[in-house]
Amino acid sequence: MKIQNSNFPYPPTLLTFPTLLTPMTPAHSPTPSNTWADRLAPRLWLGPVTLLGPAGVWLLVLLVLPTLLILEISLVPGLRLGQPSGGYGLGNYLQILQPVYLRVIWRSLVFAVGSTALCLLMGFPVAYWLALMSPQRWRNLLLVAFILPLWTSSLLRAYAWTTILRPSGVLNGMLTAIGLPAQNWLNTPTAVFIGLTYSFLPYMVLILYASLEKLDIRLLEAAADLGATPRQCFWKITVPQTLPGIAAASLLVFISTLSDFVVPTLLGGASSMNISRLIYNQFLGPTRAWGFGSALSMVLILAVSLAIALLIRYGDRNTVTEA
Amino acid sequence: MQGSAAVVTGLAAANCRQNLAGPPAGGGANDGTLHIYTWANYTDDGMAAAFTERTGIPVVVDIFDSNEVMLTRLQAGGGDAYSIIYPSDYMVSEMLELGLLTELDQSRITGLENLKAQWANPAYDPNNAHSVPFCWGTTGLLYNHEASPGEPTDWNFLWDNQAKLSRRITMLDDMRETLGATLKSLGYSYNSNNPAEIEAAYNRLLELRPHIAAFKTTGFENELLSGDLSVSMAYSSDAIALTLEDDRMQYVIPESGASLWTDTLAIPATAPNVDAAYQWINFLLEPEVASAAVERLFFATANQAAFDQLPAGIQNNADLYPPEAVLAKSEGIVAVDTASTDLFDQFWTEVTSA
Repeated sequence: MKIQNSNFPYPPTLLTFPTLLTPMTPAHSPTPSNTWADRLAPRLWLGPVTLLGPAGVWLLVLLVLPTLLILEISLVPGLRLGQPSGGYGLGNYLQILQPVYLRVIWRSLVFAVGSTALCLLMGFPVAYWLALMSPQRWRNLLLVAFILPLWTSSLLRAYAWTTILRPSGVLNGMLTAIGLPAQNWLNTPTAVFIGLTYSFLPYMVLILYASLEKLDIRLLEAAADLGATPRQCFWKITVPQTLPGIAAASLLVFISTLSDFVVPTLLGGASSMNISRLIYNQFLGPTRAWGFGSALSMVLILAVSLAIALLIRYGDRNTVTEA
Repeated sequence: MQGSAAVVTGLAAANCRQNLAGPPAGGGANDGTLHIYTWANYTDDGMAAAFTERTGIPVVVDIFDSNEVMLTRLQAGGGDAYSIIYPSDYMVSEMLELGLLTELDQSRITGLENLKAQWANPAYDPNNAHSVPFCWGTTGLLYNHEASPGEPTDWNFLWDNQAKLSRRITMLDDMRETLGATLKSLGYSYNSNNPAEIEAAYNRLLELRPHIAAFKTTGFENELLSGDLSVSMAYSSDAIALTLEDDRMQYVIPESGASLWTDTLAIPATAPNVDAAYQWINFLLEPEVASAAVERLFFATANQAAFDQLPAGIQNNADLYPPEAVLAKSEGIVAVDTASTDLFDQFWTEVTSA
């Protein structure tokens, strides 16, 4: 939301919208004391309701209510489906504090932070080159080529990595061909980092590209004219100017990797239990501890909400300062 | 809406499409279609088409990949979507406790007398009052003999060769099977209620854990074929299909005993179209139908009359029908007491999350 709009609740087009749906009050109204605006005012709510209603109902029924239900279930300690339960309590949340579960949460965070950092390190140069250095007429094509893998299922892409990473796989074929030692990365945390970074790199590049594209080249030219080295230009102009984009891309990748299920399951092997797999096991595994699973879900929802709050606070700054 | 749903399910039945998705649209309605919820590869187009031809009842098959997924869907409101489900032995006991199964009217079932003696009065469901045994099998070791440091004969092979097999082993992502096999390797029962025994099994599994590549119930086949894995713990139904596909693959039922599992036919307590469900059970109990299915789908039948009609090659397949001596040492997995369940669960979480 741009600040310039803040004293003007609806774009002008919305003001005219209700008149399409409700009959206009005739011009020769018997109460001429009312101005046109007065007569329209009570119906102002119709526009937002019509526009926001469908999505609002959708979100209420499919997001808000289920989340509240999860919250309720999480407050029943030891709840197992089909078994009588005791009253409400915080037992499920206290259970999360056991070392084994804290280890799982810690591992999920390491996977998420690590792969976000790798995405940023690899994605920034690509986005920089695409936005500022690549030939103009190839730019869109290159961008499409980069995000093309996203058009296939994430499950298939993760599965393809098992073929690449397994000991007799494509990667080791290439490594041994150029005289490097073979690696056994499948079913290790390394494979999880590789898979997550690969899966979410296109998102990183897309957002950074959008941010870098808006970078004012004249600032760089002015700095160069005034004697700044390329390194100074990069750290004093490019990075600060695109910081909101970097924050937005990093937080988005962080949220996605934190809750990813497919990559750790297929590539991580025995040492890759993360929070989303743990939640899955509580609901569909042998224990069927729905109460504990719901508490874990609430923790994940809270962590992601926090990241989104940071995203709105810091990631969106450029639009605010623009306005 | 109702009309279009009927058209869609009709089309689906014509192809006997196997859905991995949720309950079918309009599945709750008693629309004359038989909705079946089963394991992958337990039905095929021929079986469904023959049934439809015989009875005029269209068949729609949905697939689950674990008993727990099936139970959860039924409890979460899918109980009126399916007329026939295929729970395993221990799940039959559990669903009985939860009151989720219909008590079978055995006067409406023909062919129960054809069941092998072993399944006439199973521990998980006395007198088959709520379930009919459909097929059975074992859980053992599937290995690629070109990639294995020897021929395994027992569970201990994994521990004895752990250095050579390091990260070349997968075990089932199944708490009772994997901890149970470890209990068995120590000479204890799969169904131990003794905390000291369960803890000993946990410590033994923890010793092997650094050498286990992954806990997987499916998806290990390609790596086993390529030789990147040497040994995978597997259900006999999956394993035998692979041994028939590739000569390097061998299946072994461990000497100290394996788990014996039975998958059954049952009718949910709130099932629609119960008549069709009984017709399906009777259809599958017919010796000709059952033996034809076994020949196509590679599972062991609990039906003596069907077994007698099988070609000698299948009757003598020791992977499918192990010798009596091995069977005698094997056990079915049954529910343990609540304290032991919690202990199994706690140790399993420690092993898989470490």
